[in-house]
Amino acid sequence: MATHSPPRERALAKRLERWLRAEAKPGRAALAGVIGTGGLSGLLLVAQSALLARIVNGVLMHHQGLSKAWPPLFAMLGVFAVRAVLGVASEHFAFSASTRTTAQLRATLRAKLAALGPHYISTRQGGALASLLTDGPERLAPYFRAYLPQAALSVFLPVAFLAFAFPADWVSGLIMLITAPLIPLFMVLVGKGAAALNQKQWRRLARLSAHLFDVIEGLPTLKLFRISRLQARIVAQMSEDYRQSVMAVLRVAFLSALVLEFFATLSIAMIAVYIGFRLYYGEMDFAPAFFVLLLAPEFYRPLREMGTQYHARLEALAAAEQIVNLLETPEPAGLAVTHPLPGAPVREIRLEGVEFWYDPARPVLRDISLTLRRGERVALTGPSGGGKSSLAKLLLGLDAPQNGRILLDGMDLATIRREDWFARLAWLPQNPVIFHGSVADNLRLYWPQASQEALRDAAALAGAAAFIEKLPHGYDTPLGEQGQGLSGGEMRRLALARALLKPADLVILDEPDASLDAANAALVGRAIEILARRSAVLFIAHRPENVEKADRVLRLEAGHLLAEIPA
Amino acid sequence: MNQQGWQDLYRLLGLAKGEWGWALAGVLLTAGVILANTALLGLSGWFIAAMALAGHGGPGLDFFAPAAAIRGLAILRATGRYTERLVTHNATFRLLTKLRVWFYERLEPLAPAVLERERDGDLLSRLRADIDRLETFYLRVAVPSAAALLAVPLLLALLAWLSPGAAWIEAAGLVVAGLALPLWALTLGRAPGRVAAAKRGQYSADMTEILRGHAELLVAGALTRIEAQAETTALALEDAQRHQGWASWVTGAVGQFTAQLCLWGTLVITMPRAASGLLSGPDVAALALLTLAGFEAVAGLPGAWQALGESLASARRVFELADATPALQEPARPAPSPRRFDLHAEELVMRYAPDLPPVLHGLRFDVPEGGCLGITGPSGAGKSSLLSLLPRFRDYQSGSLQLGGVEVRSLPGETLRGLCAMVTQRAHLFNTSIRENLLIAKPDADDTALRDALREAALLDEVLAMPAGLDTLVGEAGAALSGGQMRRLAIARAFLADARILLLDEPTEGLDAATEQRVLEALARLRQGRTTLLVSHRPQALRLADKIFTLS
Repeated sequence: MATHSPPRERALAKRLERWLRAEAKPGRAALAGVIGTGGLSGLLLVAQSALLARIVNGVLMHHQGLSKAWPPLFAMLGVFAVRAVLGVASEHFAFSASTRTTAQLRATLRAKLAALGPHYISTRQGGALASLLTDGPERLAPYFRAYLPQAALSVFLPVAFLAFAFPADWVSGLIMLITAPLIPLFMVLVGKGAAALNQKQWRRLARLSAHLFDVIEGLPTLKLFRISRLQARIVAQMSEDYRQSVMAVLRVAFLSALVLEFFATLSIAMIAVYIGFRLYYGEMDFAPAFFVLLLAPEFYRPLREMGTQYHARLEALAAAEQIVNLLETPEPAGLAVTHPLPGAPVREIRLEGVEFWYDPARPVLRDISLTLRRGERVALTGPSGGGKSSLAKLLLGLDAPQNGRILLDGMDLATIRREDWFARLAWLPQNPVIFHGSVADNLRLYWPQASQEALRDAAALAGAAAFIEKLPHGYDTPLGEQGQGLSGGEMRRLALARALLKPADLVILDEPDASLDAANAALVGRAIEILARRSAVLFIAHRPENVEKADRVLRLEAGHLLAEIPA
Repeated sequence: MNQQGWQDLYRLLGLAKGEWGWALAGVLLTAGVILANTALLGLSGWFIAAMALAGHGGPGLDFFAPAAAIRGLAILRATGRYTERLVTHNATFRLLTKLRVWFYERLEPLAPAVLERERDGDLLSRLRADIDRLETFYLRVAVPSAAALLAVPLLLALLAWLSPGAAWIEAAGLVVAGLALPLWALTLGRAPGRVAAAKRGQYSADMTEILRGHAELLVAGALTRIEAQAETTALALEDAQRHQGWASWVTGAVGQFTAQLCLWGTLVITMPRAASGLLSGPDVAALALLTLAGFEAVAGLPGAWQALGESLASARRVFELADATPALQEPARPAPSPRRFDLHAEELVMRYAPDLPPVLHGLRFDVPEGGCLGITGPSGAGKSSLLSLLPRFRDYQSGSLQLGGVEVRSLPGETLRGLCAMVTQRAHLFNTSIRENLLIAKPDADDTALRDALREAALLDEVLAMPAGLDTLVGEAGAALSGGQMRRLAIARAFLADARILLLDEPTEGLDAATEQRVLEALARLRQGRTTLLVSHRPQALRLADKIFTLS
């Protein structure tokens, strides 16, 4: 799995960063808001430090009491309040910047998925793709929310502080100026250490967590072979190995952070000691000295925070890599010219010399010619991997043949608006999906306008009526995710019912009588017979004994259509 | 926090027993770094103020000691921080090992009954998130809290020594910023937090549905509608997050304002004292900086409070599971192992819970040693439940089930499991190599034995054709293998285990005709000489049986 794999090469990291910055466009105004409020807050901090220095100077050098200090004290209170408001505003802008960006990203991803089509989706590991779509944009959010504004502020704020420090005490300013560039240098080191961390630590942590749960899921198996107790030792051993190797990485990774910290802290200490001596020898006044001392930690702070935001950046780059990979996946070619399908029912579907492959080296279907007519039941058999499901997908218009044509009453399917053809289809796939919603919602998937009566009829035909009526709220029973609450057989019957419900020109049923008992299977046979009066019916039978209901039997083997066997 | 929460917290800390040395060292170092930092700033302020006074004709000053102390504190702070990070991480990983082993050992006797307790496919993934969260308990909750408890009194003592009034102000400020505000933020954030969690789950479910049902939704013309629905969920999630955000942004800003207010208050009360000579000028400078820097001690607390609630909720769920009583009792005085392997059931009754209707009701059957009983019937009739009785994964409530004339209930689970091999629709394959997956059945088997087992299971040629042969990785839950290969690997495992009793649960479900034939041939070899219970509704599979029995 590609999760948690941070980019390794600089060129790649740069490319991803460019992509991230381009993606940030919709949040640009909000980002400007973050930088504006952050910058303003920084300038107010300078004012706050100057006020504090003036007050302490008054106490120290002039033995001032409160009476003379009230104006700067109240000014300071005002600065505190304004900075608090600015802080909230800045967070608010940052949040908006990230939500505007992620909303657009979600739309981009949805469009990309649609363009890639169902074949791509079905061949990817469902869980990985789902978590990429769900968590991917969210994992990028900290980059837009924290890293980008911080990156801008970490340039602006130190320069601003320096501009105020120099007039106050040019030597301290010089110390800051000289040490500051060293910090980004070490930041690169920190970044490298953190990259090693991200790469090794988190991937191994994920593996460790996966191992524990692999073992827990397999507990019945382990128990059966009487080695479940031994596994505790293996779990402990893996954890301990992990600790040792991660600590070795951390010792190095934290070292670069140490150097960074060391430089910043020592620079502040140097400034403190240095201005102390200048004061001692009467070379400067206390107020500017104290002001510089207050400013020094603030000068280094944005640079140091940049170091902590480095994780946000790396995490975002790792997520971005996966997203960019998805977005750069080549799309199957689509035809630009599409025509509407005339309103009359399609009577004949003809395949002429159809060839199809996902990979040219391995053709899936070779030179298939056949005709399906309205009023006819055709069974499609053959070993798995013989191309049955691919043929169904071509007929459904979910995939397009590389050679040959599919003609609907003489019109090439490739030139017809996809939605129009979809509107004429009903389909029971091999692994139907039950959607979140009520039983009735699920039944109405292909035919939203179906009456309650039609639902009952279709359910009865599919052998689903009995169990539906036993559900707590009958047809209105809400079904959980992935049909929770129904057995596998019940889900299939529900999906069969919804395919039988729609008056379609072509009905494709993948193993309609799987998980049915003999009585129900006979019922379904009868339903198909009725269905065939108004539709062309193609049903896929994985087992030869299920073809007796067909008018014709087609056999697909290794992509070749064998001679038609009359039923 | 209620009493249960305290108990869980106490128990959670108790799990760390044996690693307290490391844990404590981490806390001490964290507190030390906070104090060094505060002292550094305070001393710097005092130092330059004193130097300024001395430079302007004030009292003389021995400046070497404070200057050296400033440099020393700077070094202490930086190296202390490094050491602290290493030690706390090391402690975290040590605790992680303890926690995982503890959890596994608690769960082992309970499996599989407890894991199947709820009809909830989500149980494991939820558990996984809970365990992950408990692992961060030390780093995010325990260390910041304990370090604050340690550092704050010392800090206040230092302040009180300079000015008791300033200490009172600081104490009040720390309570507000470290306790009151974070708790307020938690209260404010609770409702939107719940909404956010629900919406996040819903969004993830929506997206999973869109992916799994993409083709069907496309053909049905419903994709756009469902996508719009998911986007609405995503926007609602962001809205809830924004509400959560406001709670923490506002309290965070108020917290910062509180710290600055303390500085302000300290100035206001110390200035008159300084003017009247009760307090030295450098002390005012030191107090001003100490007051501000002291808030670093409570900086980790808002995060800790937030994580505490989550950790305790996770701990509750984990403890509840770990404390479940095993579904069945081992016999007090185990009977000797049977010498024959025929099966006999009479009036067998089994139910999953006392308040549920029985799944098996008065069942009666006989299987001679080496015989094969086919069991068929509609789903929910208790076929799989019946198979779970023999390896003692489940218990029966009344009636009798005898193996070789010995009541199954009077035999230890280990003994029975040693006699059983199982091939099920969902045999678990571990995410490792084919070899390792086979060795589970017989850890001391050599390659020849493994090859023999694979040959018997009609899988050898296919395994040898794979690039890495026996060392091919099977992927998560066997994802790299086809359904038929997974099933035959489970069969090979059963050959290796060489058990006397064979339990087959829908062994050919979901396979195409040709693959089913190969699996059945392998099963026909496997059942030779083994007493077999075969659950299936496939007529082809039931041909293996000598006798067929319909459960209803």
